[in-house]
Amino acid sequence: MLSAHQTEILRAAVNRIIPPDDFPGGWEGGVGDYLSRQFKGDLKDLLDTYRVGLDALDAESQAAIGTGFALANAEAQDSLLTQIEHGSVKTTWPIDPESFFSMMIDHSMEGFYSDPGNGGNRDQIAWKMIGFEVRG
Amino acid sequence: MSKYDVIIVGAGAGGGVAAGVLAEAGKRVLLIERGRNLSFEDVGRDHLRNQRLSQYGHNAGPDINSNPRTLEVNGDERTIRPHEGGYHANAACVGSGTRVYGAQAWRFMPQDFRMASTYGVPKGSSLADWPITYDELAPYYERAEWEIGVCGSHDAMKHLPDYNKPYPMPPQSVHTQGRTFRNGAAELGWHTLPIPLLINSVPYNNRPACIRCQHCVGFACPVDAKNGTQNTLIQRALATGRCDLLTETMVERITTDSAGRVTGIAYFDKDGQRIEVTSEVIVLSAGAVETARLLLNSATSAEPNGIGNAGDQVGRSLQGHYYPGAVGLFPEPVHDGIGPGASTATCEFNHGNDGIIGGGMLADEFILLPIIFSKRTLPPDLPRWGAANKNFMRENYRRVSDIKGPVQDIPSYDARVTVNQKVRDRWGIPVANLSGTTHPETVRTANFMHERAKEWVKASGAVKVWGAPPGLFLSGGQHQAGTARMGDDPQSSVVDKWSRVHGHDNLYIADGSVHVTNGGFNPVLTILALSFRTAEHIAQNW
Repeated sequence: MLSAHQTEILRAAVNRIIPPDDFPGGWEGGVGDYLSRQFKGDLKDLLDTYRVGLDALDAESQAAIGTGFALANAEAQDSLLTQIEHGSVKTTWPIDPESFFSMMIDHSMEGFYSDPGNGGNRDQIAWKMIGFEVRG
Repeated sequence: MSKYDVIIVGAGAGGGVAAGVLAEAGKRVLLIERGRNLSFEDVGRDHLRNQRLSQYGHNAGPDINSNPRTLEVNGDERTIRPHEGGYHANAACVGSGTRVYGAQAWRFMPQDFRMASTYGVPKGSSLADWPITYDELAPYYERAEWEIGVCGSHDAMKHLPDYNKPYPMPPQSVHTQGRTFRNGAAELGWHTLPIPLLINSVPYNNRPACIRCQHCVGFACPVDAKNGTQNTLIQRALATGRCDLLTETMVERITTDSAGRVTGIAYFDKDGQRIEVTSEVIVLSAGAVETARLLLNSATSAEPNGIGNAGDQVGRSLQGHYYPGAVGLFPEPVHDGIGPGASTATCEFNHGNDGIIGGGMLADEFILLPIIFSKRTLPPDLPRWGAANKNFMRENYRRVSDIKGPVQDIPSYDARVTVNQKVRDRWGIPVANLSGTTHPETVRTANFMHERAKEWVKASGAVKVWGAPPGLFLSGGQHQAGTARMGDDPQSSVVDKWSRVHGHDNLYIADGSVHVTNGGFNPVLTILALSFRTAEHIAQNW
C-alpha cells in the first residue's frame, strides 16, 4: 500500500481534481476508498507507478514552492497541477508527469462517478449531485 | 445413431432462434454456449465492467483471462484480452448480446440487400448484393417481431414497404429527450419514428412491461421486460424436452469423416475434458469473429485452408458499424430520467444521399452512465479536472444529449479474421487474429452522417454542439458481421442463400457472419429473421 505521506499527497491531488464545494471533494466522495480497493484489484500493477508519481509530485512541489504538495494551499496546488498537466516540470521525473496526472484524473472520475459497488461514490453522492436516478 | 439431430454452436440471437424452431419441429438439439446462464444479479450493475464500458472487465462474458485474441496493426501484433480496445467483443452468455443489448429492432431496407447494384462497387471494396431480397426475408422479420416481441409503430416506418402485420406492442411513451429531437427534426422537415425495440411496452409473452429504468443497454432487465433469445426461443426449445443446453463449453473444431463430410464437433466441457459428439446437422452461431475462427480451425485434408474456404472468403469482409454523431448542450434539461433513453430515429439518410454510398439511421442515445458521460461525452474544450469540470457535470448532465447512428459499412477484403497458430486460448485452441480496416468509403459516409447529426442537434435547440468526425479503422464490435457471406458463387461467398456452407450438405451458419452487407441499422433483427428462415429450411429438409 501507499505510505501515510503518499496517501496525504494523493488525497490532496484528488481533492483538486474534484474539489469540494457544497458537495464533497473527490476524496470524501469516495475516491480514496475506491482506490484503496482497486490497488488490491485491477490497479494492483499501478501501485508502484503511484508511489513513484506521488513522490515526484511532492519533490516538484518542494522545488517549485518550497513546501510539500499536501501542505500547499489550493491555488498553489492548482497551479502546480496545471504545469504538470502540460508537462512543464522543474524536477526530473522518473515517469512521464503528464501521463501520471492524466491517469490520476481517470481514476478519480471512476471513483467519484461510477457505482458505489466499486467502493467509491459514497452514498451515491455524485449521482445525487448530477441528477442520475436509479430505478428498478 | 447420433443422440442429436442438430448441434448448434453459440446460444445468442441466431443460435437461440435455431434451437427453438428446430426443437419445436421435433429435432433433438444440442445447444452449446461457452458462457454461463446468467441471472439478473450475475449481470449486475457494475458501471466499470459492462458491455457499454468494459474498463476492467465484462458483466456478461467472455471471461477476460481465458479468451485472448491478437490484433495486427501496421505489421505490429498485440495480444489483447476481451475487455481491451480492438478486441471486438460480444457478450458470451446464454442469450449472448440479446441478454444485455439496447434491443433496437430494425429491419434492413430493400436497398440494403442490393448495395452493389444500387451504388456500384468502389475500387478495393468487396461490396456485393445479397442472393435474397427484402421481400424474401420480410415474413421472417415479422416472425421475429412477434415471437421475440417488438414494440413500435409500423405506420411510422415510411422508409420500408408496408408491413403485413403491425408490431405486437405499441411504442413506448415519449420522454423529454425524444420530444426535443422530434421538434428539431420537424424544423428540418425530417420524418421521425419511434425506435422499434425488443422491449415490452405493455405486458407480453407472460412477462411485464418495461419500468423505464436507467440501466438498459449494457445490462440485464430487472423485470425481464427486455426480450432476447434467453427468455423466448431458448425457453421454448428447453420446454420441448428435446433440447440440451451445455454452458461453459468451448467448441474446438468441427469434425469430419475421411471424405471431409461434417460429422459433428469436438468440445471441451466445464472440466476441460475433450469430448466428440456427432449429429446430422451442425449450425454455427458463434458470432462473426468466432464462427470464422471455428471454420478456419477446422481445416481438413480435403479443405486445408479451413472449412468452406475454397474461395478464400472465410474471415474476410469483417463489418460492423461506425457510429458518428454529435453532442449538444441544451438550455433546459432534456434528460428526465426515463429510460431506456433511445426513443426517436430518422431514416431520411439511409439511402439517396448525393455522391455518398449508403448512409445510416440516426437516433437519440440511451441514458448515459455518469462515468461514461465523464469519460466520453464532455466537450473537448472543457478542463478535464477541477471546479470547471465538476460544475459542468453537476449543471449539465441533464442538459446534454446526443444523436448518433450506425453507418452502413462499405466492406473491404482486408478487414479480416484469421487464426494465429502461435497464440492459444485457455483450451489450447489457436486464437482469432484481427487485421485490416474498413473501406475508406465508409469514412466518407460516416463524415456525411456526422454533419447530419450536428444539424439535427442544432435544430433541436442546442446552444453548443461538439463531436469529432471519425478516422479509418476496423469495424466489427457488437455488430460484427460479414465473415462468411452469403452468395450463389462459392468462389466469392461462403454460404448459399439458405446459409448452408458451400460444398457441404449439413453445415449451416446462423449469425451475422452470413450478412453480405450490414445495413445502416442495428443488425440483430436481421440475424434473428435469417435464423428463423434457415432453421425452418433445416426442419423441412432434414
